[in-house]
Amino acid sequence: MKSKKSIVLGERVVNKNSINKGFRFWLAFYAGRFSAFLCRLFRLSGTSLPGVVALKLCPQLLFYLGSAYEKVIAVTGTNGKTTTTNLISYYLQQAGETVVGNGEGANMISGVATALIKDCNLLGTAQSRTVVLEVDEGSVGKILPAVKPDLIVVTNYFRDQLDRYSELDQIITLLRKTIDGLPETELLLNADDPLAVAVGRGRSAVRYYGVKGERDCKEVEENEIREGGFCPDCGELLAYNYYHYGQLGDYRCTKCSFKRPEPDFVALDVDDSDLLHFSLYLQNKNTGEQEPQKGSLDLHSQLRGFYNVYNILAASAAAVIIGIPQQIIEASLPDYSTATGRLEQFIYQGRPCTLALIKNPIGVNEVIKTILPQEGKKAFLIAINDLAGDGKDVSWLWDADFEKLNQSMISKVVCSGRRAAEMAVRLKYAGLVTSKIVIEPGCRESLEVLGLQKVDQYYILASYTSLFNYAKLLRKMGKAVVNDAAQGLPSLS
Amino acid sequence: MRLRVCHLYPDVLNLYGDRGNLLVFQRRAQWRGIELDVDQIMLGDKGDFNSYDFIFIGGGSDSRRTLVLKNLEKIAPYIVDAVEKGAVLLAVGLGFQLLGRYIMAEDGTVIAGAGVFDAYTEMGSNRAVGDILLEATADLQEELKKAGNKDITTLIGFENHSGRTYLGEQGKPLGRVIKGEGNNSRDGTEGACYKNAFGTFLHGPVLAKNPHFADLLLLKALSPQEEISLDPLDDSLEILAHNTMKKRLI
Repeated sequence: MKSKKSIVLGERVVNKNSINKGFRFWLAFYAGRFSAFLCRLFRLSGTSLPGVVALKLCPQLLFYLGSAYEKVIAVTGTNGKTTTTNLISYYLQQAGETVVGNGEGANMISGVATALIKDCNLLGTAQSRTVVLEVDEGSVGKILPAVKPDLIVVTNYFRDQLDRYSELDQIITLLRKTIDGLPETELLLNADDPLAVAVGRGRSAVRYYGVKGERDCKEVEENEIREGGFCPDCGELLAYNYYHYGQLGDYRCTKCSFKRPEPDFVALDVDDSDLLHFSLYLQNKNTGEQEPQKGSLDLHSQLRGFYNVYNILAASAAAVIIGIPQQIIEASLPDYSTATGRLEQFIYQGRPCTLALIKNPIGVNEVIKTILPQEGKKAFLIAINDLAGDGKDVSWLWDADFEKLNQSMISKVVCSGRRAAEMAVRLKYAGLVTSKIVIEPGCRESLEVLGLQKVDQYYILASYTSLFNYAKLLRKMGKAVVNDAAQGLPSLS
Repeated sequence: MRLRVCHLYPDVLNLYGDRGNLLVFQRRAQWRGIELDVDQIMLGDKGDFNSYDFIFIGGGSDSRRTLVLKNLEKIAPYIVDAVEKGAVLLAVGLGFQLLGRYIMAEDGTVIAGAGVFDAYTEMGSNRAVGDILLEATADLQEELKKAGNKDITTLIGFENHSGRTYLGEQGKPLGRVIKGEGNNSRDGTEGACYKNAFGTFLHGPVLAKNPHFADLLLLKALSPQEEISLDPLDDSLEILAHNTMKKRLI
């Protein structure tokens, strides 16, 4: 495979083993390898520890490791990083490429270093040709200059973990400063998010993706929190023709010429009533016309939720940019299934059970919008922790639209985690009668209480650090469901 | 019975779940048969500040500081006047800093605040982030009792603010810091009180985590209309949440 000419554009100068790496690198590399071995031996997850060890010994490690790849793609932003990253890697694999990535969500520098160390053989030679990285918004300054991506994809910026990032403006400024040192890097930005667009101001190699038209303007979302109401150029208020969700939509500055850029990749005819389906048009920016020689892609996915349109759109646009044939994208997308806790399906107590990660208000709102239209009586379990991975400040629960859970089809909400009581208070003020609210902080115990509810569907919304515990327990106490897209029927694994 | 409520600058000061304070205030009023009329005063708007029983201003991004102050200075005299006449006010985070006498920026430039509280802020690179626990001042404890509080003497929240805020000679704090940083990480004070106006760095939202404090504000907002006491509510969930965090912090 390796001798075959890459189908993706491999113009980058590859330094396989040609850089003199020096003693410190090799010491760090083998220390990292050894740590990974120990993690396996003791059955630890080991998605960051080897990197932590190796980076201590050689802070320049990522620079050496990153230079061995023909193509480097990085995905950053607040929501949708994991899905977008995994889908780009999946497309590359379907195109016959060898790919490495930190697909397990370890998206800080140690997680990236771990993934690349593991991709090397014992001689330090990279086994894959392409690397697709999910990069934490706060870690872009450390990771991107070292790996020098060919393409950076920005998903969106929403308020998230304010205790750690303090403010969105700082996150965006950090990325802008970082890419100033990367003049060769191409950007792929979400045209519908003024905050993501702000990243590319003043750069020439920028392409945009966006969703065309109004989604459902009848339903006014008064409870939604919106960021970025201000122009990144002049600071004036932005005016909107419509919103998709959050601050994503069609906007323009009321004072200067800043407005939503015309996207190069447009999602049209979106059907999000069940499994997603839409068309992706490649648009000629100068004429605004569809490019006749390229045409459009007909995309079917087994993912749900309008927000996933953006993830599929971003990943597919990235795939087109790096040269993956359109027929491979169209043909392989229907078989792509979701990562842990991204609306993952289980059977628990004989009932369908959906597990979703929640980490910020916009994420909660979109997950709730996606699952509420499903028919039948429902019981929820909401697990809120406040460890570093979750965000230590849980006040964001009050910016999320939990009011939507106040309806007759929802008979019980079990609150668990370190902030179970505070979640319960939030639901009380969202209007739920207290007889519907149960507090059970323990993971297994809360799942048992959920399992006693005689309803048609279970839903578990969990913050990051409890997500994997629930996934593990559900596999043990229930069964994971794998969608067999070819037949359109779920099958058990 | 109806109360008139003003939400000041929800278009820019809307971080850290602070809007939950109004939800809590509203629900606790409704559960006692009191309805609210909420006016949202956006940047550039003028409000009729003599007509409000309760004014709320929340936290926001520091980068909006100058923009907000530019607009705030036009209405500041009316807010000060309303507070002098006994209006109830709650200011959280940046909102609290903006209602002080002044803010000194990192480069030494001084911008005047609204002057509701005898407090001033010196910006700096430090940032206080984390859970915070206060012992309410003796005066505040006395007032909380009048509002029906039985035995909670603490206030709890999550602070996330930069700069150091100091109280002037006339300034009285909300409480003494047991765990956390408070106004300036130095003198152990947190927040400020003046007449029926309260400033604090406690997010959470503060009224959700401290139902006794919410009831005090509600009682104060009602009492100019008539001398009343509040019907007690079942606050077992709120108190459980308060005590769970308190136990973790002590």
